[in-house]
Amino acid sequence: MNEVTKSLIQGFGQNCFIFAMTLLMAIPLGLVITFGSMSKFKPLKWLTKTFVWIIRGTPLMLQIMVVLYAPGLLFDMPMQSRMTAVLIAFVINYAAYFSEIYRGGIESIPRGQYEAGQVLGMTKPQVFFKVVLFQVIKRITPPMSNEVITLVKDTSLARIVGVAEILMCAERFTKKGLIAPLFSTSIYFLAFNGILTLLFGFIEKKLNYYKS
Amino acid sequence: MPILEIKNLMKDFGKTKVLKDVSFSMEKGEVVSVIGSSGSGKTTLLRCINFLEKADKGQIILGGETIFDGATKQKMTAAQLRKNQLKFGFVFQSFNLFPQYTALENVILAPKLLAKERPDFSGSKDRIYAEIVENAKKLMNSAGLSDKYDNYPCELSGGQQQRVAICRALALNPEIMLFDEPTSALDPEITNEVLKVIKSLADRDMTMIIVTHEMAFARNVSDRVVFMDNGVIAEEGSPEDIFERPQSQRLREFLSNVRM
Repeated sequence: MNEVTKSLIQGFGQNCFIFAMTLLMAIPLGLVITFGSMSKFKPLKWLTKTFVWIIRGTPLMLQIMVVLYAPGLLFDMPMQSRMTAVLIAFVINYAAYFSEIYRGGIESIPRGQYEAGQVLGMTKPQVFFKVVLFQVIKRITPPMSNEVITLVKDTSLARIVGVAEILMCAERFTKKGLIAPLFSTSIYFLAFNGILTLLFGFIEKKLNYYKS
Repeated sequence: MPILEIKNLMKDFGKTKVLKDVSFSMEKGEVVSVIGSSGSGKTTLLRCINFLEKADKGQIILGGETIFDGATKQKMTAAQLRKNQLKFGFVFQSFNLFPQYTALENVILAPKLLAKERPDFSGSKDRIYAEIVENAKKLMNSAGLSDKYDNYPCELSGGQQQRVAICRALALNPEIMLFDEPTSALDPEITNEVLKVIKSLADRDMTMIIVTHEMAFARNVSDRVVFMDNGVIAEEGSPEDIFERPQSQRLREFLSNVRM
């Protein structure tokens, strides 16, 4: 294996790590934010909505930089690891986007479904888990696949704080006068997103056994 | 003793008074149809009876037990609400089947969840589930759905979906069945297959309240007809009284309009 490939694979490992960890944590955290933004307790609702507005309204790149530098400059507790800062920023950012997708999914379920569960003597958790949840998953799969694919590409933003992800690795060769490695990075992204596209297509097809 | 007694029920939606002092009672095995123009409060009355809406004032007494009293400040607990709702079977105008489950699964879902609360559940789970399925199939067979167990709601016609919904409500052995315009979302040709199922329940002395726009059906199936107008019961009586000897001007107008 030549030096370039080795370096790019190593770099893409970082991208994959950010991708996996972000999904793992942002998917459940997004649900928590959804419950906050749908809360009947007004202060919590507005606090959550403001939070989502700030996170969605500012660049992810800025958020990464703030998470890395703010603790050190404001509280004299510098971030120990650049990767940790990147992960915190990614998880919060993606959880905010996911929460809005979840909310849209939950609110799109007709009231009659809840009422039907209720008149059949189901408890609120039973209505949510046995009746609503599956329908929500089916409805949010297409928008979620969009976000997940965006996440794959966003992972390269980690280079802004010096995490050696694939683009940063490729750039080292550009400085030596080689352009090919930069082009090669696209192959990694295209392959990864190709697999994701197939996977989501498969899931959507599986969920398509009924129409609502 | 009446099985269900409604006393002075009132309900507002904001400034609109939807129910203004509604009282009536019914005996076990009785079939009562509620007719009236749109916005007269029929559906709201039905939804208040099984707590899909909370009435503002009045009382609901079921089998001698006061299950709702607007005068008490104390809120019903979730457990009480569930217990009270389970005494009623409710059939919606828009069916509201669960789309991700087959027809049979729709019918057995709630009984299975409920069975988990039985004290003998852990010892005889398989037997209890088998009984639930058997009972569900029996209900579906008598509603003409013996070949539709494994179809999803999207694969069924509106009439079939509504029959599944009726089976789903019956599977919990309710004391009273409430029908909220069960045929209003159906084509006229398939209305009859649903009405036949409801009629067969009436023949088996099921206690029922049916909100309907099908005048011929109301006349045919009911022991008593209630005419609601503008949030009150304007007239009630036997089908013959209501349809042949209407007393009030309002009912005469309504009947001549729907007969056109």
